[in-house]
Amino acid sequence: MQALLSFAQSPPLDAPFRFFLTAPLFAILAGMLMLWGGPDLFASRWTPAALALTHLISVGFMLQVMLGAMIQILPVFAGANLLRPRLVVPVVHATIALGALLLVAGFLSQQAPAFWLAVLLLGSGLALFIGAAGHALHHVPATNPTINGLKLALPGLSVTVGLGILLAVGLDGAFALPLLQLTSLHLVWGFVGWGVVLLAAVAFVVVPMFQLTPPYPAWFARCFAWLVLALLCCWTVTARWPGPSSLLAGAVVLSVAAFAVHTLQLQRCSKRARFDATQHCWRLAMLCTLAACAVWFTGVRGPSLTARQEWLCGVLALFGGFMSVMIGMLYKIVPFLVWLHLQNLGGVHFLAPNMNKVISAPQIRYQMQAHFLALALLLAAVVWPRWFAYPAGLAILIANLWLLRNLLAAVGFYRQQGQKIAAMLPATPATASR
Amino acid sequence: MKQPAADIVIDARGLEPPEPMVRTMEALDRLADQQKLLVLLPREPYPLYRALEVNGFSWQAERRSDGTVAVLIEHKKK
Repeated sequence: MQALLSFAQSPPLDAPFRFFLTAPLFAILAGMLMLWGGPDLFASRWTPAALALTHLISVGFMLQVMLGAMIQILPVFAGANLLRPRLVVPVVHATIALGALLLVAGFLSQQAPAFWLAVLLLGSGLALFIGAAGHALHHVPATNPTINGLKLALPGLSVTVGLGILLAVGLDGAFALPLLQLTSLHLVWGFVGWGVVLLAAVAFVVVPMFQLTPPYPAWFARCFAWLVLALLCCWTVTARWPGPSSLLAGAVVLSVAAFAVHTLQLQRCSKRARFDATQHCWRLAMLCTLAACAVWFTGVRGPSLTARQEWLCGVLALFGGFMSVMIGMLYKIVPFLVWLHLQNLGGVHFLAPNMNKVISAPQIRYQMQAHFLALALLLAAVVWPRWFAYPAGLAILIANLWLLRNLLAAVGFYRQQGQKIAAMLPATPATASR
Repeated sequence: MKQPAADIVIDARGLEPPEPMVRTMEALDRLADQQKLLVLLPREPYPLYRALEVNGFSWQAERRSDGTVAVLIEHKKK
């Protein structure tokens, strides 16, 4: 077979993998934090432990997977290559990993230096990533909704990071900032302006591609990112006026729900006779997203969302929505990348093993079931923390240890097969992909 | 636009990765000097373009109204 990759242009295998392998470590820490914090952690979403838990998942798990995936997606879906990836990628990875740890330490210890250092590391690492990705995408015309969405997700990330920095420096009260309002802005821009816009941009390609469905309606894919960002901007500007602000917030939530409904409808038209793990994960994620939207609408009919409703929305969106999709996607992206790089190592002399052999199907299924169980226990812990806080923490710990095990199995498979290929190749200078 | 003349046609729309890439690469292995290969895909195949460049092929891509991208491939003229 012909050579598949140009190594001058494509990211090396370890570029996305270092992010993917780090992500479960943060989720493991989240499980440990729940075991340490116990039922008290669920008293309010404002407790230090609850804020630490939220950021272990959002800045720890999610950001690692999203940046790792974006580094891989930019050249494949948009033909956009990061400049000097071998320099940029390790720096971004190290700064955001360390920054996330310090941020969590800051929440738990309430020590200002930890926050300052976290802000410095996360701010500089993400600025570097946004600059590098923005530069790569700058000259790429937005010829399809995915490229458009990738471009529009970057301002969403920038606003989220900017608001996060403002919150961190304003925590000691020195600048008399409206912290509650800023927190809402930070959260919604992070969830929707960055998370959902990026997720939808990727979904427009990967759902039809990996789940064998028809494409999203062209009008929907073309308008979605613009509509969501326009609504978010209007909502941000009108945040001081409750009437228009509530209407716009409702419109944002409805847009997200519309994305989930479209995805579920497409899944029903899949050509595959039986759903695989990725499809199960996507379906659960979209159902959780719809449930989070429903809880939000139920809550805003009253004076404000109760603490339980806030927790339910957060757990459904973070653990049920984003985390489920990401786990499902990891089980497609990781085997595909391993296959691609093995095939390239073998060149014309060697046919890479089937992609389905990279991580064994039963292990994927067991891990997926462990994640689903952890989510169910976590939802139960929100309602009955005394009974379910510890089982939920233990389940999250186990599910993510399992995820790490499966991802490490893929790395082991790559190394083992890579050695086999090297031994079989004729005595020519070896081409390394790492 | 009229369908370009091709000796081998691969309709890779509706195939799950990495099947489109595998079939295309296998067809390229068999492509004689004067032959042309037409690959129909649901999106712009940026990694394929790079692989073609690396392996000494030239190509013309055409985007159709239904979203299909038709890539006509042949050996680079020496």
